[in-house]
Amino acid sequence: MYGYGLLKGLRVTLGNFFGRAVTEQYPERRPFISPRFHGFFQLDLKKCNGCGVCSLSCPNGAIQVTSERDENKKRFVTGYKISLGYCLFCGLCVEACPRDALRFTQEFELSSYRREDFVCDLLEIEKREKICSREPA
Amino acid sequence: MVFKRKTEDEVLQTERYQINLGPQHPSTHGVYQAILTLDGETVIDVENVIGYLHRGIEKLAEDRTYTQIIPYTDRLDYIAAMLNNLGYVQTVEKLLDIEIPERAEYLRVIMAELQRIASHMVFIGSFAIDIASITGWMYNFRDREKILDLLEMTCGSRITTSYMRIGGVAEDIPADFIPILERVLRELPEGLEEYDELLTGNEILIGRTKGVGVIDIDTALDYGIGGPNLRACGLPFDLRKVRPYGIYDRFDFEVPTGENGDSFDRFKIRLDEIRQSIRIIEQAIDNIPEGSVKSKVPRNIKPNAGEVYHQIEGARGILGYYLVSDGSTKPYRLHIHSPSLMSLGVFPEMTKGELIQDAVVNLASIDIVLGEIDR
Repeated sequence: MYGYGLLKGLRVTLGNFFGRAVTEQYPERRPFISPRFHGFFQLDLKKCNGCGVCSLSCPNGAIQVTSERDENKKRFVTGYKISLGYCLFCGLCVEACPRDALRFTQEFELSSYRREDFVCDLLEIEKREKICSREPA
Repeated sequence: MVFKRKTEDEVLQTERYQINLGPQHPSTHGVYQAILTLDGETVIDVENVIGYLHRGIEKLAEDRTYTQIIPYTDRLDYIAAMLNNLGYVQTVEKLLDIEIPERAEYLRVIMAELQRIASHMVFIGSFAIDIASITGWMYNFRDREKILDLLEMTCGSRITTSYMRIGGVAEDIPADFIPILERVLRELPEGLEEYDELLTGNEILIGRTKGVGVIDIDTALDYGIGGPNLRACGLPFDLRKVRPYGIYDRFDFEVPTGENGDSFDRFKIRLDEIRQSIRIIEQAIDNIPEGSVKSKVPRNIKPNAGEVYHQIEGARGILGYYLVSDGSTKPYRLHIHSPSLMSLGVFPEMTKGELIQDAVVNLASIDIVLGEIDR
């Protein structure tokens, strides 16, 4: 019968009409982000010694690491800038880190109005968060 | 002055005019332009204009180390990134002549087939929307979401996966991956039945696609198209069967073929391929061994000077990588044989003489991705 296929299709849509909604109500309800998600970066200042392997492994050269040596000839990191505008979020830097100092966070809302805001100083962010966490709530 | 009498054909023709389909048009599936020459509503000539998405990935690859090229391959065919990763790393492994662990081989098969299903779902959805069935699009994307969640769980990204590594895969699957995968595989056939009821049996879809955009086997082979588009013409040519790469010779699956090589066959064959991919993943889950997922590969990969060509069955056809090494840490030349470019070549041939509405359906039915065409 001509039109039977259309009716069968309508039965599917009608069945789903009374089913559970699939759509996520994003800004009101936060989505579930898996622990391995490639979001923003977090640098562990205790572990990082500024060796720069992450910078070498980056395909786009988005990471700039500067380091100095103290009186015991031990290297420490003095600057860590990551340019999110050039970042591919491939995870090669996190994989390359010999001391597991760099890791991804689940933060995914990284858009910005200004180009300059994409250059993030992870060292500054870490220091600022440390001060913030010390303050009483 | 001699006046030439017009022939009957010339009298019946209307004034020819050209219209631009794209580059800013939703049904061109990216930034692609087709200059259509029309006689009334009939298309009499099509000119492909490509290059709007050219990013120079082949040139960029000459200035990157072998590992650093992997994220760029995601951006070729951005709907099936896993398969691009797989093709590239297998090419480099062929050049280096290294073995990879069993578990990594099985993980690669699971991921590649999941990605193939996700890619075919985008095809079915966008094909439906191009013949004005917006509902068809929604159902496919509901199910594709489950697969993307699995990919995100494993490699941290949904589209640009960068999961494969030279010598294995980036990391092992999380502990709860297999149970969730088994649940998704149970749910997928229900979804496929819904698509069948919603689209395959729909009289409007059949009317719009049966006998439209027919490619015969000879034309298909002349233009060098492969994959589902070739199999829809009736030739059971699947690289997974004909020239098995990786461990594909261990799996039992069928190669679905079409009969007429029209748009409807190209649509239906992808539904059948999803079913076969589910079969392959089920077998892979049953046989996956324990062990490491990456073999020992030096950090600085320095292959001997030489050249290698490797091809895999991508979601859209034969995906080939040609790599020339000069013995340094960076490749001398990387060339990518992209299946979409081959498919696009046959588009003018199949569209000439058909109506302008059918041009859009034809373009959707060959399943092109512009990231891969322009590279």
